[in-house]
Amino acid sequence: MNIYDIIFYLFAIVTLVSAAFVVSTKNIVHAAFFLIFTFFGVAGLYILLGADFIGVVQILVYVGGILILLLFGVMLTNKITNVEIRSGTTQIVPALIGVGLFAGILVLTMVSTEWKSAPGEIPFTTAYSLGKVLLTDFVLIFELLGILLLIALIGAASIARREKE
Amino acid sequence: MPQNSQEILLMLPHVVIGVGIVISLLIEMYSKKSETILPWISLFVFVFAGVHSIINISANQILFGGMLEVGGKPAIFNFIFNIGAALLILNSIDYIKKYESNHGEYYILIQSAILGMMVMAGSKDIFMIFIGLELMSIAFYVLAGINKKKSSSNEAALKYFLLGAFATGFIVYGIALIYGVSSTTSVDSIIQNFSTFTQNILFIVGLLLFIIGFSFKIAAFPFHMWVPDVYQGSATTVTGLMSTTGKTAAFSVLLIILSASLINYNIDIFAPYFAVIATLSMLYGSIVAIAQKNLKRMLAYSSISHAGYMAIGLAAANSEAFSGIIFYLAAYTFMNIGAFGIISIIEKQNDANTDLTAYAGLASKSPILAAFMSLFMFALAGIPPLAGFFGKYYVFISAIEADLTWLAVVGVFSSVISVYFYLRLVVYMYFKESEKDIDLHIDKYSLLSVVVSGILVIYFGISPDSLLNLILSVVN
Amino acid sequence: MEQSIQPLENYIPIFLVLGFAAVFALAVIFSSKLFGPSRPNKVKLSPYESGKDPIGSIKERVSIKYYLVAMLFIIFDIEVIFVYPWGVQFKQLFGEFGIIAFLPMLWFLIVLELGFLYIYKKGGLKWD
Repeated sequence: MNIYDIIFYLFAIVTLVSAAFVVSTKNIVHAAFFLIFTFFGVAGLYILLGADFIGVVQILVYVGGILILLLFGVMLTNKITNVEIRSGTTQIVPALIGVGLFAGILVLTMVSTEWKSAPGEIPFTTAYSLGKVLLTDFVLIFELLGILLLIALIGAASIARREKE
Repeated sequence: MPQNSQEILLMLPHVVIGVGIVISLLIEMYSKKSETILPWISLFVFVFAGVHSIINISANQILFGGMLEVGGKPAIFNFIFNIGAALLILNSIDYIKKYESNHGEYYILIQSAILGMMVMAGSKDIFMIFIGLELMSIAFYVLAGINKKKSSSNEAALKYFLLGAFATGFIVYGIALIYGVSSTTSVDSIIQNFSTFTQNILFIVGLLLFIIGFSFKIAAFPFHMWVPDVYQGSATTVTGLMSTTGKTAAFSVLLIILSASLINYNIDIFAPYFAVIATLSMLYGSIVAIAQKNLKRMLAYSSISHAGYMAIGLAAANSEAFSGIIFYLAAYTFMNIGAFGIISIIEKQNDANTDLTAYAGLASKSPILAAFMSLFMFALAGIPPLAGFFGKYYVFISAIEADLTWLAVVGVFSSVISVYFYLRLVVYMYFKESEKDIDLHIDKYSLLSVVVSGILVIYFGISPDSLLNLILSVVN
Repeated sequence: MEQSIQPLENYIPIFLVLGFAAVFALAVIFSSKLFGPSRPNKVKLSPYESGKDPIGSIKERVSIKYYLVAMLFIIFDIEVIFVYPWGVQFKQLFGEFGIIAFLPMLWFLIVLELGFLYIYKKGGLKWD
């Protein structure tokens, strides 16, 4: 076991344990806080894999944006802060069977697959290659992405906007 | 980047719709009369894209360095999407006035949904499939909830969003595993090395997750939970669009897997999966539809069973199935759009008029609507010589050729069951006395849309070879 | 595995900062619990309102406009993510591709700013 393995397991444990707390805790605010650790652990795993830009994006968008928003949403919405949300009490047997099957298949797959490691050195920073790929191979996807974000914007606005009287 | 003017010409349908979205947005922002202008812009865009695709069907090319395929098979799909959407726009012109707000957004979202479908149908890269899927799905999530004042519409939007996002999660996870094995996102190179990859269990699991995600999008049986509520709660025109073109787009992706097994000497590992899905969907859809009193809900269950019939072709996995599914999708799109068009006319004045009882005595009030509704019901039931019959016929033939005769038998059995609930509507229209006084207001555009769908259904039924030969010319 | 992986030394400062932040935060909270006197009474436990008695619940309804602004923030946040890898390397990319390095981003930004204009026109940014 070298230092990379130790760091990997550290992040993996942070991710999994906090994710388990997210689904098992009954307080919605606690769930939101544990989610921060989940996202953070995932970001750490990304960086460990050499995807530094994705890791930073994970922190910037998920931890810095979506989660803070989620927390504000929880705290500012009337009367849901102290309500115990029911979680993990209904349909626990079918859920366990389903998740168990799924996890079982994945673990089996993971064990029985011959993993190959990508050749070559991982670049110091991935931002340049990402920028280049966005302008060359994936330029069409990039433009469609613009339209996708525009649609998300219009959709969000048209659903959330209050009607004019 | 497109290299020359010819390539730009070939991707005009995509460009026109993309520019159409932007122009519609500008008009929505700056014009007070956007409600009357936007339908015509959308209509022009869709008709142009549909006609352009079908004219350039023989010019099959792959653009953007292996990203987007134009002409050929995608052209057929583009035709289905665009003409279907154009017919629904004709329906919407009057229908959408029922809802007081968001008219402009409605047309913009429909355009982007169709753009997403076209991207899905023409994608040669897994990322393109994903981005097309997201364009389509996000537009549909919003469209389902476009009527904010009706709680069932809000419920439909939320249910569709939560379950749709879950299915998308499956697809993305599947894509990740597929990429982990193949180290490429190019669909073509995955297809070429399909037989090597399938020896890797990781690839199979990835593909299975991918297929499960799309089984959700085609509304097949174990993944159908959202369908009845979403179809019933959404605006009728939106339901028409989701149930036809949305299903077609999802099938266009599943056909990639079919073509992979065709090219690689019929390695068909997913045949059992599709056979099970097909059987369950057909029987479940047909049997539960009998109990429905609401027409939109009934058509939702009918949509589940039709997904089952098409999945027979996926299980058969031969070249007959390939063209059969495309034919079936075209037929299903036009007959279902016709049926939903008529529902939208009847429902226009009062939301409660989606019940079967609202159709009692329709034949005396509006003979033309009753006649067309009967036509679409006969076509959906698969009665010859209408388009629906040949769709089922080609798919069943492919199953028999693939030694899956039992599947074809189940299909015929389920069709027989489904005749009951389709014909019950016809009986209501012609042989029951009207109980309610329904204020019918048939506008000319909706009627035009219904008539055009009807003509297409009859035409594809009387001369199925015209469409089938077109499909066969691009498949081989 | 050891050779191909990115050198972790680059991240040592980040780990140090994180570790220091965690230790400091915990130390501050627990030291006050540990060493401070704890004699609560009703006045001390009531919310601080500059000496006045608090009125009503803190759980107020917040206008839907707040959520709209929040959603817009997320969408533009994601937009910036795509601009970033292009922006930091623009000189290099421009040298390599010329004007091609500029046009796709121009279209991307035009489309998105149209969205912004749409929100503005529809009154999505008005608070009242």
